[in-house]
Amino acid sequence: MLRPILLVEDNINDIELTLIALEKTRLANPVVSIRDGAEALDYLRREGQYADRKDENPAVILLDKKLPKIDGHEVLKHVRADDKLKRIPVVMLTSSREEKDLLRSYDLGVNAYVVKPVEFDDFMAAINDLGMFWAVLNEPPPYR
Amino acid sequence: MSNVSRVNEEPTADMDRAMVDCAREPIHIPGGIQPHGFLFCVTDEGIVIQVSANVASLVHTPLDDVLGEPLSGVLGEAASLAITALASLDTEGVPLYVGSIDDPRRAAKPGVHLSPLAIVVHRYQGIAFVELEPARGTADVFSSMYPLVRTFINRLQEVQSVADLAALAAQEVQRITGYGRTLVYDFDDEGNGHVIAEALDEGYPSYMDQRFPGSDIPPQARALYVRNRIRLIADADYAPAPLVPALNPVTQAPTDLTYASLRSVSPVHVQYMKNMGTGSSMSMSIVVRGKLWGLISCHHASARVPPFEVRTACEHIAQVLSLQVEAKEDYAEAEHRLELRRRQSRLLATMANTDHFIDALTNDPRELLALTNSTGAAIVFDGRIVSIGNAPDEATIEQLVAWLDTQSDDIWSTDDLAHAWGRAANPEYAGMLALSISKLFRNYVIWFRAEVVRTLKWAGDPRAKLSSLSASLSPRESFETWTETVRGRSSPWRQAELEIAVEFRTALLGIVLGRAEELAQLALELGRANQELEGFSYTVSHDLRAPLRHIVGFADLLREMDSAKLSDRGRHFVERIIGAARFGGKLVDDLLAFSQMGRAALRPQSIDLRALVQTLAADEQRNTGDRAIEWHIGDLPEVTADPVLLHVVLRNLIENAVKFSRLRDHPQAPAIIEISSKAGEGEFAGQRVVFVRDNGVGFDMRYVDKLFGVFQRLHRAEEFEGTGIGLASVRRIVERHGGKTWAEGKLNEGATIYFTLPLTFSPDMPVRDESATAAVARLAALSPGQPFRPVPKELNPESNADPAPDGANDARRE
Repeated sequence: MLRPILLVEDNINDIELTLIALEKTRLANPVVSIRDGAEALDYLRREGQYADRKDENPAVILLDKKLPKIDGHEVLKHVRADDKLKRIPVVMLTSSREEKDLLRSYDLGVNAYVVKPVEFDDFMAAINDLGMFWAVLNEPPPYR
Repeated sequence: MSNVSRVNEEPTADMDRAMVDCAREPIHIPGGIQPHGFLFCVTDEGIVIQVSANVASLVHTPLDDVLGEPLSGVLGEAASLAITALASLDTEGVPLYVGSIDDPRRAAKPGVHLSPLAIVVHRYQGIAFVELEPARGTADVFSSMYPLVRTFINRLQEVQSVADLAALAAQEVQRITGYGRTLVYDFDDEGNGHVIAEALDEGYPSYMDQRFPGSDIPPQARALYVRNRIRLIADADYAPAPLVPALNPVTQAPTDLTYASLRSVSPVHVQYMKNMGTGSSMSMSIVVRGKLWGLISCHHASARVPPFEVRTACEHIAQVLSLQVEAKEDYAEAEHRLELRRRQSRLLATMANTDHFIDALTNDPRELLALTNSTGAAIVFDGRIVSIGNAPDEATIEQLVAWLDTQSDDIWSTDDLAHAWGRAANPEYAGMLALSISKLFRNYVIWFRAEVVRTLKWAGDPRAKLSSLSASLSPRESFETWTETVRGRSSPWRQAELEIAVEFRTALLGIVLGRAEELAQLALELGRANQELEGFSYTVSHDLRAPLRHIVGFADLLREMDSAKLSDRGRHFVERIIGAARFGGKLVDDLLAFSQMGRAALRPQSIDLRALVQTLAADEQRNTGDRAIEWHIGDLPEVTADPVLLHVVLRNLIENAVKFSRLRDHPQAPAIIEISSKAGEGEFAGQRVVFVRDNGVGFDMRYVDKLFGVFQRLHRAEEFEGTGIGLASVRRIVERHGGKTWAEGKLNEGATIYFTLPLTFSPDMPVRDESATAAVARLAALSPGQPFRPVPKELNPESNADPAPDGANDARRE
């Protein structure tokens, strides 16, 4: 079973568009979509409702910056600080072009930062590239 | 504060020595008295220990028999009056009139007229002094004095000015004494006397308005004038009556005659009188606020002994005059101060109502000048110099301020700036009053006064006293009017004017400090507003972009998946939806980028302009495919600028040139784009002028002002794509570098966009190397809709130009 792609995104439009885009890439990886930062951490740490989840890290986390409860940067920080999670590739997938958001993401150790293009074709291309790169081409870190 | 005095010629060593010699003469212990009266020095027990030699003639007794005797034994009845009075006298120096007696010689000389004698006693340094001097009668001296001064007292009410008062005093003293000439003069700060009133008998030369040099009255004589308010010299030709014995037998020291009205006169003064043609004189001091303000001075050609009553009346007149002068001066001064304060209030009120107080000061220059009765002023504030009235030129003011910087006082005044500053005199600003508001920030208010040419009439050349010096001590001989013209000086600054200047400085400081607080408050609010704006931009960036993106996304999907089910019109609407949402997204992106250009700190460094332009041109050429474009890349040296922002500027300009020249892609008439630069001249000296020229559609110069506005476009959107942010961004970036932008164009013939870059400028923040990642991040943030383009390697020779995500650590180095 392929490792899942974790999509952390609160906007239903973005979720739908991203899922469609991922669908079109014909990746075999399952996609788990989660609506807020706290739930994402629960998922990753296998806590709360995800306590029974299979012991396996996602192939990549597609993380929105702006999230309810715990925002994207916070999630990233927790991931990088957690010995079990710190090697998961994280891609910031966000609307913000703000320089300081960009720099903060890199400071926190993001693997890639993608500004969601307005153009759907471009967006599709970006998701396709991301999916292909991180889920297929990239050799994921060995678990544990 | 300093008042600079000026002497026409430098004092010679002789002059110094003469003045010192004169000042050293011990005039309070002359060892004798004038012979028109008699003096007894008496112990507390009433024993006579010292007498004037002429006492022998008064009592017809050898002096040896008088000394050591009780005073009552010598003078009889008269003595008892004096002894009683002395017993009750406990103040030093204050003379007391005890009564008048008949001259004891009268009985022996029935045919001869002998005046009664007034008895005046005083105590000084443990010795009782009993003086007898001629009186008019034996009646109470005060009842006989009143009729003498009555006219004067009554008429005092009628006069207003000090000059009129002085004239009245001169006239009355002349009338009651019968002297040939009575002068009233006042002293200036340097001690020079100036005759302000005069009463004359026929045959006496006038001294009206003349000046007597300060050196005519040595300092110790001035001190005596303050302590002993009347001085009679009955006969310039007198032979003094020496004291017998010469020294006080108790102390074996000369007896101090400071308060003795009969005190003998300095031989120098007697010579002075003779030189002046005066046989006798009497002077009454005008003492105002404890200082010798002036003198009433009576002269007569021959010897003259005014009776004691007259002398007392004159002394009284002088005292009344002193009080009146003081009152009048106080009143005039108070009026003057009140007027100055009124002016100050008006000025301050205007200043409080004006945004910048300098504007208030200069709006009505009369007010500022009137505050200190000046003819010109300069305000030096925050590097600005504002001149009012007759002030020096800016360069001179600069030098003056530099000189004032070296002075420690906050207030500095002179009526002779040329002398104080050591520069050539200028009649426009002979006097100066400078307020330093802040030495640190070089803030000054400086007032100037024009030269007042004064013609001084001296009673004789003030230097003559020196030229005729033969012995160590001798007075001057000539009293011929000698006219001196004093140039290069303004009228002196009055105390009230200096005081109001101090007050004004305090008020200004208050205003300046208040203004500084306001500015600090403004800066705080501005910072808050900026933060809000940033937050706003952020919201726009994140939240406004998203729905536009979704519209485009879903509309795209609709077109792609269900296009077949739509009517032609439906498909058209979908296209319109997509187009409008795209454009909305682009507007948002452009606006965000534009706002970041204004906010982000500049990180200037040296840039190879030529390499940057070549890279950008190559990019553009690639994007335009097979369009025929002739690139003319001219003189492009190294410049100092923020490489990311300069990249944005040149990319915008080159893109525009390519875009607006695209109708000319005929091989025979290709688009020509010239990118070059030249050294700035005139207004742009010290700057590099860079320009991008094309031969495209150009523009109508009538709309040149719109060219650089945000979202301003001169073409329809269908003709040339774009939001209209490009040139606004260019202008904003160039202005942040301290440069200027402008454009020239002609419809259908092309356009040239110019911008300048200062060769040197101070960056907002310390220049540090920017990592490649950070630079790329910045460029990406400033380049909406641009395909990824790394910053050219040569911009960052030391850092890794590979913008791989791993480079994130570079950003942390910042």
